[in-house]
Amino acid sequence: MKMEIISEIVAIFRRWNTKLLRQPIFLFFSLIQPLVWFLLFTQAFSAIGDIPAFKTLTGTNSYITFFTAAVIIQTIASSALQAGIGLVNDLDSGFMDKMRVAPISKSAILFGKLFSDAISTIIQVIIILFIGLALGVNIASGVLGALMILAIAATFGIAWSGISLFIALTTKSSQTTLSVGLLTTFPLLFLSASVMPLQLLPSWVQQVAKVNPFTYIAQAFQNLIIKGFVLDSIGYAFIAILIIGVISLGASILVFQKKIS
Amino acid sequence: MDNIVVVENLSKIYGKDIVAVDGISFQVRKGEIFGFLGPNGAGKSTTIKILTTLLEKTSGKASIDGLDIDADQAKVRRIIGYCSQDVGVDDDLTARENLILQCSFHHIPKDKARSKVDELLRKVRLTEAADRRLKTFSGGMRKRLDLASSLVSDPEVLFLDEPTTGLDPQSRQDVWEYVKQLNKQGMTIFLTTQYMEEADRLADRLCIVDQGKIVAEGKPNELKANVGADKITLWFKTDDLEACEKAVKALSNLQGIEEVGKCVVGLTTTEGLIIMTKNGSAVVTQVVRALDSAGIELEQLKLTVPTLDEVFIKLTGKTLNVIERKEAVRRGRRGMRS
Repeated sequence: MKMEIISEIVAIFRRWNTKLLRQPIFLFFSLIQPLVWFLLFTQAFSAIGDIPAFKTLTGTNSYITFFTAAVIIQTIASSALQAGIGLVNDLDSGFMDKMRVAPISKSAILFGKLFSDAISTIIQVIIILFIGLALGVNIASGVLGALMILAIAATFGIAWSGISLFIALTTKSSQTTLSVGLLTTFPLLFLSASVMPLQLLPSWVQQVAKVNPFTYIAQAFQNLIIKGFVLDSIGYAFIAILIIGVISLGASILVFQKKIS
Repeated sequence: MDNIVVVENLSKIYGKDIVAVDGISFQVRKGEIFGFLGPNGAGKSTTIKILTTLLEKTSGKASIDGLDIDADQAKVRRIIGYCSQDVGVDDDLTARENLILQCSFHHIPKDKARSKVDELLRKVRLTEAADRRLKTFSGGMRKRLDLASSLVSDPEVLFLDEPTTGLDPQSRQDVWEYVKQLNKQGMTIFLTTQYMEEADRLADRLCIVDQGKIVAEGKPNELKANVGADKITLWFKTDDLEACEKAVKALSNLQGIEEVGKCVVGLTTTEGLIIMTKNGSAVVTQVVRALDSAGIELEQLKLTVPTLDEVFIKLTGKTLNVIERKEAVRRGRRGMRS
């Protein structure tokens, strides 16, 4: 039984990878937004790095170095949207019914998709790190740190995708899944420590940011990029990922287990 | 004969009061093609979705090969195949990749899967297109692949939900042929359709359904025989009462005629003289002979036998085949399905 679920996940994982490879243009387009962010935001806000408190708080006076974390998070969030969209497409095309009639586990259908999305997230983050490198962003924690960034990105991507899966499965509408995702990403990003160090945010935003998971992911990335391995922040990031993952994926599996039409 | 599908008092209510399936009971025998004939919204797809474990029933009982569709859900899934109205194939993959994927869903070992897929591709005549992506496939090709993909596990019962809706006539013939072949090899087939011709050609037995209820059940021929007699219609060369009355007289002694219509002026230009009989094809030669010896010249003669459409009209007061309406509904379809 245990072996069966692994082979089911592998089959579905490979299906999505094949689909991804046949739409390379899609990977390309998903990188346009982070690039625009990198180039425009960091140009417009480069003066932030000159604020004396910024350097003491973050350890760098380069805003672009600080901002790399925000670009990665934004990429993960928009990539997580795709999990739900893919599921809705399967529901619409009738392919989902074929899978649901087959003797396979519901979790395999979801995790096969999530793992494939994690692969595409990793590819995107690698590209972003290279673009950053070209723009002068050095990763203080080195290659190991970069691998840690990828690990956080992939697991956070899976956990965050759970929210998109849940919306997709309950609404069965790609429109809704897309708009909820797009509408929440921006506020969450700006109400976190991703674009500005926590202490420089207005006090009410600080309160929100402290319960915003993006803050902990961002701080882990920022530390890995600017300072090196800061175990506390990595720990907090994984705790946040675990909490989100258990809730979002648990809820998605529960909804999915029920027979739907 | 053994019953392989047993349905007792099955109901499905959507929301508070939308009754899609209204307490139906029927049995499908092992090895037969069983048809579910009815218009859009009759509850056909709902029934098939409940039986294939996709949809929760509201009440009642159903089992497949002795396995309860709820309690033994996992086992039921191992012995059934299902083709939905929407063609459930992945357009980004090739035909072969689609089938291999289905094989892995059914945990078929790799080398066995490869030969199984080759065999299925050959059977649905897609060997040449096997390595092309589905984006280039016609509707008929996609449906054939869809059929093949629900057969990778050699199911005991194959559920087909409106297998030819939206197909061109040639593709429809292909699907019919293939379904018949599968049945000859011993597969039990449950199919829903809104085409009486399809039910008539394929089904060994069928249920006529309307508004969630079964209104008739039996072999197509029995059902047709029940609605009534064959009809012979005569139009005469001369449009006068005399010829007509002479004909009525000549026919009155013939055996096997149940009822002869009345002669009215202008009959030749209107509906003609109608004769009802149980056995039209045998009686028609006698009619011609009798008229010939009475010296009555015919303009035209028509023999009509009852169709399932007439069965449906008689039972429900509605006509069955409304293709345009169905297409319109399909276009706007999403959410509640029949």
